[in-house]
Amino acid sequence: MSESTGANTAKPSSSVKLVLLGEAAVGKSSLVLRFVNNDFQENKEPTIGAAFLTQKCSLPTRTIKFEIWDTAGQERFASLAPMYYRNAQAALVVYDVTKPSSLTKAKHWVAELQRQASPGIVIALVGNKLDLTNDANEAAGEAQAEGEHEPSPADGDEATEETQEEPDVSNGDARKVPTREASAYAEDEGLLFFETSAKTGHNVVDVFTAIANAIPESSLKSGRGAGAGTGQTSLSGGRPAEDSRVNLGERGAATAKEGCAC
Amino acid sequence: MESLADTPWDVTISGTGLAQSLLALALSRSGKNVLHVDRNPYYGGAEAAFSLQEAEEWVNRVNSETGDHPFEDASVRLGDGSPEAGTQLSSSRAYTLSLSPQLIYARSQLLPTLVSSKVHRQLEFQAVGSWWIHRPGDSGDKRLYRVPGSREDIFADDMISVKSKRTLMRFIRHIGPPQLGAVEAEGEGSSLEEDVGDASLTEYLTSKFKVPEELHAPLLSLCLSQASPQQTSAQFAVTRIKRHLASLGVYGSGFGSLAVKWGGGSEISQVGCRALAVGGGVYVLNTGIQSLELPAEDTTNEDSRIQLLLSNDEVIKTKFVVGSNWDIPEAARLSCDCDRVARSISVVSSSLESLFPATAEGGPVPVGAVVAFPGASLGRADDSPPVYILVHSSETGECPTGQCVLYGSINMPGSDGQALIDLAVQQLLESAGGPNAQVLWSLRYTQLGRAETRSAQPANPVERLIRLPPPSLDLAFDDALIDTVKDAWQAIMGDEATDHEFMTFEDREGAYEE
Repeated sequence: MSESTGANTAKPSSSVKLVLLGEAAVGKSSLVLRFVNNDFQENKEPTIGAAFLTQKCSLPTRTIKFEIWDTAGQERFASLAPMYYRNAQAALVVYDVTKPSSLTKAKHWVAELQRQASPGIVIALVGNKLDLTNDANEAAGEAQAEGEHEPSPADGDEATEETQEEPDVSNGDARKVPTREASAYAEDEGLLFFETSAKTGHNVVDVFTAIANAIPESSLKSGRGAGAGTGQTSLSGGRPAEDSRVNLGERGAATAKEGCAC
Repeated sequence: MESLADTPWDVTISGTGLAQSLLALALSRSGKNVLHVDRNPYYGGAEAAFSLQEAEEWVNRVNSETGDHPFEDASVRLGDGSPEAGTQLSSSRAYTLSLSPQLIYARSQLLPTLVSSKVHRQLEFQAVGSWWIHRPGDSGDKRLYRVPGSREDIFADDMISVKSKRTLMRFIRHIGPPQLGAVEAEGEGSSLEEDVGDASLTEYLTSKFKVPEELHAPLLSLCLSQASPQQTSAQFAVTRIKRHLASLGVYGSGFGSLAVKWGGGSEISQVGCRALAVGGGVYVLNTGIQSLELPAEDTTNEDSRIQLLLSNDEVIKTKFVVGSNWDIPEAARLSCDCDRVARSISVVSSSLESLFPATAEGGPVPVGAVVAFPGASLGRADDSPPVYILVHSSETGECPTGQCVLYGSINMPGSDGQALIDLAVQQLLESAGGPNAQVLWSLRYTQLGRAETRSAQPANPVERLIRLPPPSLDLAFDDALIDTVKDAWQAIMGDEATDHEFMTFEDREGAYEE
């Protein structure tokens, strides 16, 4: 990742479970794909292929290893049960800036997280598909810094009808959700807020970095603290919580294949 | 919302218990059209894990839908939680309580299955460390003794006389070195049978090795038998003690069995279902099978389909239907030949640290312990069944720091069994809990299933209706479940089964790597 600092030998590393939520076709998987592989696929099918990805995010004082849980399409028939997000320390709630109903759905997910998830969960509200708006031009400069910018602003994002229109710059603003409306809501609810383009890469890494920075130190010490309060590790006597983890092999390259080859 | 009726389904799985969820995992790369429904609003079926509030909703559900769940007589009791700091219940969602907690032996077939299907990285495994036995009336108020579970433990034990140690070692040597694979070795069955005949564990230990009686109960606890030593067959016990010994050290020193963080079987269920969802399976919760109509014509015809009316009023057609007795319409059920046990879940206001000593230098911190209470230690007859309490620390993610979850079980359903579990919980807290230890909240229920001593009936496929046997009541994961799932998978895959290896997949993430 771009902000990688190199000297991460002695930096503490913690795993953070991050769940994705949001209406179908808002670009949840594309955001993750951009973050994890710096890649974007046009006309990507509804999530097939990944439900669990990991990516490290290097901060000045520590390394956060995101364990990213994609919805695997289970949002289609409302079959995402609370256990999907109960132990998450972070959630990315995504809507599509060209589709007002997706913001309504996102608000529903935020309420659900506040009701069901771990009390200290960090929630980021993300308006995706910024490349379909007039702000896309602004975004272009930064996106080029990512080295992945494709010049044509609107050749068909995933599953959106709007993108079938002619990519006319003066007339091509498909934005239906004003930035101010979403950011005011995010502020009221205490959420991180970003508008992104998975397609150009604009703001994508920033979202994950902001989440990594917002995870409270206390919840890192205890692993994924399922609302486990603050003071920690009475059991492990000051050792890091990862001490209780048993490696079934393959988790770390060094210990690959041990034990399970019976 | 899309209509389910438009798809010609190959398989409809009903219920998201461990068996169905592992089947979902097995089918996740099959390319078949799979619909997976559950009439409950949660994943996990009999293996579900709940917050306090969800547990209360579940109690109402179980008691009002008698016969539709493998559970009966559920109730919640609030402790007389004193208002002092540290002895109060936290918020509902700070808890994840498992209806069917099971420990997983390192030699269980479940682990290589999870590894070869590449889902183990989505789970977090932790160590179950010590076994304890309740023995009242000895010195002072120390009533729990650590069961020497390995050769090293036996040597180090200062409670057992040298003579007893010798008999114990002779017994352990006799039942065979804990060589890899020794547990599963079928060929050994005959010699074991000849060796032990139909003796009980008591008879076998006494007549053959002169193992003193005080060591019978600790040995029984290592095999997690839910009957007394007199009523436990030596053959059953020896097989399981071997499993215990052979599992030590497989994944690290000082432990032989594992727990899955964040709710055990329910986590495995969730991961299995997600794998199928990623593979294109469609998931619908809160929706069960209302009625089922087998095709009139010849079912050997490849294209004939079973017609299902779902509880959301959709009518769908499917080649196969898979479910346990509690997930299919009453008319299609087999007569229930189930065993019953009393179980309880108690949240207690103590970290019970003394039960989780580090069992080996450099080994992982144990998060689980097993405490066995022989019937006699609770004032019952010698042949009364024991109470087992699986103790989970807050490191399991099931409760807040400073508390523990006690999962009690006894092979004696109803109020008698519940009274004994209560007594055992009290004894445990008095022995290991410290001054402020108390029960903050508890859930009691009767669970239906198959006793650990009974072998699983094969899944029962009648005209492509695959009925899964009742879940095991064993306190350790029962490998027969893997066979059940494989049978169902084979029935569904038919000839294709030869081209696919059961539960062996490549990493999906690999597709994204450079």
